[in-house]
Formats: sequence, C-alpha cells, structure tokens
Amino acid sequence: MFRHSTLRYITLALLTSLALFQAFTAAYFGLEVLTEILILAMLVVALDLVAGFGGMVSLCHGALMGVGAYAYTTVSVTLGISPLVAMAGAVALTGAAAWIIGAICSRSHGIYFIMATLAFGQMAYSWVFEAPIFGGDDGLGGIPRLDLGFLGIDLNDSRSFALFCLAALGAVYGAAVLILRSGLGRSLSGVMHNEQRMRALGLTVWRVKADVFGLSGMIAGLAGALAAQHIMYISPGLLAWTVSGEALVVVILGGLGTLVGPLVGAAAFVLLKHELSAITTYWHLVVGLVLIGVVMSRANGIFGWIEARWGARLDRRLADATRKSAPEEVLNDA
Amino acid sequence: MTHDLGFWTLQTLNALQLSMLLFLLSIGLTVIFGLMHFVNLAHGSLYAMGAYFGASLAAVGGYWLGFFLAPVAVAGVGVLLYSGLIKRMRRSGPMAQVLVTFGLIFALLDLTRIFWGDLALALDAPALLDGRVAFLGVEYPIYRLFVIVLGLAIFGALAFVLGRTQIGAMIRAGVDNDAMAACLGINVERLFFVVFCVGCALAGLAGVVAAPLLSVTPEMGLQILIPTLIVIVIGGLGSLKGAIAGSMIYGFVQTFGAVLAPQLASILIYALLAAVLVIKPVGLFPAKG
Repeated sequence: MFRHSTLRYITLALLTSLALFQAFTAAYFGLEVLTEILILAMLVVALDLVAGFGGMVSLCHGALMGVGAYAYTTVSVTLGISPLVAMAGAVALTGAAAWIIGAICSRSHGIYFIMATLAFGQMAYSWVFEAPIFGGDDGLGGIPRLDLGFLGIDLNDSRSFALFCLAALGAVYGAAVLILRSGLGRSLSGVMHNEQRMRALGLTVWRVKADVFGLSGMIAGLAGALAAQHIMYISPGLLAWTVSGEALVVVILGGLGTLVGPLVGAAAFVLLKHELSAITTYWHLVVGLVLIGVVMSRANGIFGWIEARWGARLDRRLADATRKSAPEEVLNDA
Repeated sequence: MTHDLGFWTLQTLNALQLSMLLFLLSIGLTVIFGLMHFVNLAHGSLYAMGAYFGASLAAVGGYWLGFFLAPVAVAGVGVLLYSGLIKRMRRSGPMAQVLVTFGLIFALLDLTRIFWGDLALALDAPALLDGRVAFLGVEYPIYRLFVIVLGLAIFGALAFVLGRTQIGAMIRAGVDNDAMAACLGINVERLFFVVFCVGCALAGLAGVVAAPLLSVTPEMGLQILIPTLIVIVIGGLGSLKGAIAGSMIYGFVQTFGAVLAPQLASILIYALLAAVLVIKPVGLFPAKG
C-alpha cells in the first residue's frame, strides 16, 4: 500500500511552496514553464499509477492525453458547448477509451503489454491525423479556456491559469493516493506482485487492471484538456508515441512507484529541456545520455536515490540507538 | 481499376517490396529478442545510420561501395553498443531495456544530426538498376524488383543457415532454452554477440537499400520503428517464420488498404494488431510454444 513517509511529506511541501512562489513572483515566461510542468506532472502521476503500482508499463499515455485534448476541443470549439461540459466529456471519454485498452491488454505482460499499448496509441494518432474533422496535420486552434467568471477568476491570465493547474494537480494527486489506498489499489499491488495468487484468491484480475487503467486514463484526459487550454492550439503531434516515451522517461527520471518522484521528475525534465534548448539544439542527446545513465545506475530515479540514502541514514541511526551509544556520537555520525 | 490485372500486379509488387524492406529490419530485431530477450528500440536508428553511411560512402565510391560497406559500418556501431551497453543490460527487465534503448534513440538521432546535418540526403540507385522493366503487363522500376529479390535471397539464406547448419541449430537451441544450451557446451554469450552484430548489419543493409526509395533524414529511423515492431508482434517474437509472415501481412494490408479503403488504411493495421493480441497474445508464430 502507498504510504507517505516523512521525506515524501517534506518533498511535497517543498514542491508546493516552490510552485506557489513561482506562481506569484514569475513573469509571463516563468508562468508558462510552470504550467507546462504542472500539466506534465498530472500525466506522469497517471502513468506512475499504472506503471509503478500495477506493473503496466504503458506507451499510450501521451496518446490518451491527446485524446483528452482533442475531445475537449471538438466539444468546445466544433460543437460549441460550454468548456465545463467539454472538460467533463473529455475526462469521461478518455477514461472510457483507457478502460477498453486496459481490458484488451490485461492478458499481455512485459514487452507485449508495452507493444500493445504502443499500438493503441499509434492507432489514435493515425486516426486523428487522417480524420478531416480534427483538422489533420494543421491541428485545431482558437480553444477557449474554462470560464470561472462567476468566481471572479479570469483564466486567460497566465497567473490564474497556473494556479488553477496547480489546484488541479493537487486534486489529481489526492485522487491517486485515494485510489491506491482503496481496495482497488491494494488489489492492484497484489496483482503486480503475484497475479496468479490473486487469481487463485478469486479476484477478477482483468477488471482490476482495466479499472485502474481507466482511472489513470481519466487523469490523462484531464491533463490533455488542460494542455489544450494552455496552448490554445492542438496538433496530432500531441499523440505521437515519443510523447508517451517522454512521459515514461520522466517517471523513471523521478522514481517509479513513488508518486512523489514523478513530480520531481516532471520539474527536472521541463527545466532541463528549457535550459538545454537555450544552449544547444541537440538537447535530445543530453536527455538521452542522462536517461541511459539513470537507468544503468540502477537507482530508482532522482527521488528513489534520495529515498534510499535517507532510508540508509535512518537505519544507521536506529542501529546506533539500539547499540545504546552516546547520543552526541549519533549526531556526529549522522 | 480493380478489374485490371496490371493494377493487381503493380500493388502486389509494391506490397512485396515494402514487406521485404520490413523483413530485413524485423528479422534482426526478432532474433535478437528471441535469443537474448532484449528489446532494442534503437534498431530503427541503426537503419537510419545504415542509410547515412551508405549515402556518404556512395558519394565517395559509388552505390555499390555503400551497399557493401554500410552494413559493415553499422555492425561496427553494433559492436560498440553491445560492449558498452547491451551486455550490461541483458539481465534487466524489459522496462529498463526499453528505456535505455529509448535514450539511445534520442542520442543517435542527435548524433546523426551533428554529423550529417538536418537536410535530407539523396542516394541514387546505381546505373545498373536504373530504369524500368516490363513485368507481367506493368512497367516496374528495376530497383524495386531488386529490393524484392534481395529480401527473398536473404530470407532463403537465413532459412538455410537457421534450419540446416550447425550454427543455426545452436541459435535455435539458444532461443529455446539458453541455460540448457550453455550446459551442452554452446558458448551462448558469443552466439548472442554474433547474432546481435548480424542483426545490426541487416538493419544497416535495410537502410542503404531503402535510401534510394526514400530520402535520407534523421527521423527515418523513428518512422520505420513502429511498423517493424508491429511486424514482430504480429508474427511472434524470435522466429524467422514470424518475421516473414508479419512482414507480408503488414506489407499487403498497408498497400492494399491504402488503395482499396483509403479512409480505413491508417487504422486497419493497428486494428489487426489489436485483434492478434486479443486472440493470440504472443503473436502468430512465436519461437516458443
């Protein structure tokens, strides 16, 4: 079951205060970067939910986000229905699509699961690319943002929109924690560790996988609807498989199965990308090498590494304390 | 149009040509997977490197120099990758391998951009294979026929080596049960290395062969990767039969889909893949039952 250690609470508090500080002090460009981080963070929380806690390494989450973005745009721009309904529709539709994908892929494992999800992502990509109502390669523009005028908030202002995304991320994170602590989440981790045993215990394994995949898809759909509102323009590139690959990279960079780590990873990835692309056009080379280095070091990403160090320190303290050594010595040692 | 024999001949040849190109790529990938349980997403990047090496070598000494040396050069890159990365990643799970090779895609993509620039290169077909020939009532480019013949020849050679020679028997034993094969005195590690290099060389060969048909761009490796993966997943991992069957299915569905049902063409192959995964999650002809 997912638990918040002290370190996780500290990291969450730190990240939240950094985001709030950035939201209230940064200028236009800083706010755009912050919003980009927040939206990516939602996507990677969704991905960590299935990959880190269910062993379902999905290469279609970028495409699911794209489905959310296109659903939102189609309903709000093409059909002219209010953005609030459009957002709800986008989340529901993406969740349903993800549930079906999860149900179909639930029998596949390991590399076959990765390939199968990749295929579904590509299917959505080519469909969006070819279908005339989605504007093809040109994409769709003129996407409205949610109207929160009745609360006195104007989301067309970058600062308000960044704060709105921060609130949405908070809600998404809370929902992910609730899912993991529910019976469904516990069944999921059981399935990840020993699928046969869970089946023998009478669990309908494919339903658990499909349900969690669907919930994760809803989060990805929300991220997509917000991404469409953020850029106010969408193109099929949003659904390309490399976007899903990048999301997986962020999860790994941050720390798989820690839920907090991917948030750290999202911030690190977007900042690295912006800093590097300002220096060199070959920033992919650096990202690729960093990724290879992180995976080969066998640490569980940035946060996983910190957590391991922290845990080792706590163990050492505990060992020292039980040896009844002098308290000063413990402090010096630590 | 569909009642014309020429139409069917032309589309069949187009489908065969696409299938053979995919076969050259997928056979390396699938045998590497079957033998080593290693997922190499960077296989497409090796194909792009083959095209680039071919174009550069052809600019120096003509097409045939590129044709023969580009696979060797790509095999050289394969040796570097094997000793630097892949040997160490052998025992990791599929996710770590997917990620490391995904990182490799990024790195190799930018390396080709640094060395060869962003502009597309062109590689002309050799004079010997230039022009068209009348074939069953259609005029067909000789070069494309050459690709078909080359693919079939490689298929024949691999079928012979895998099915009739000692090294082929060793490879099949390794795919089947590598620990048992090692117990019987086969140097499985060396076998892996050889197979990996041959797979890389075939990817390079596919690249240099494809170069005159397409333009040589840094993204060509990414574009071919998904079709190659579809081929090996439909066909089943690890077997020659799966690779050729998957390539044929992909080539024919894609080509005939594009001319007979253009609205459906793009999702047809993915729908087929989904159907295969639902009915037979391990593909049509997996190496292991």
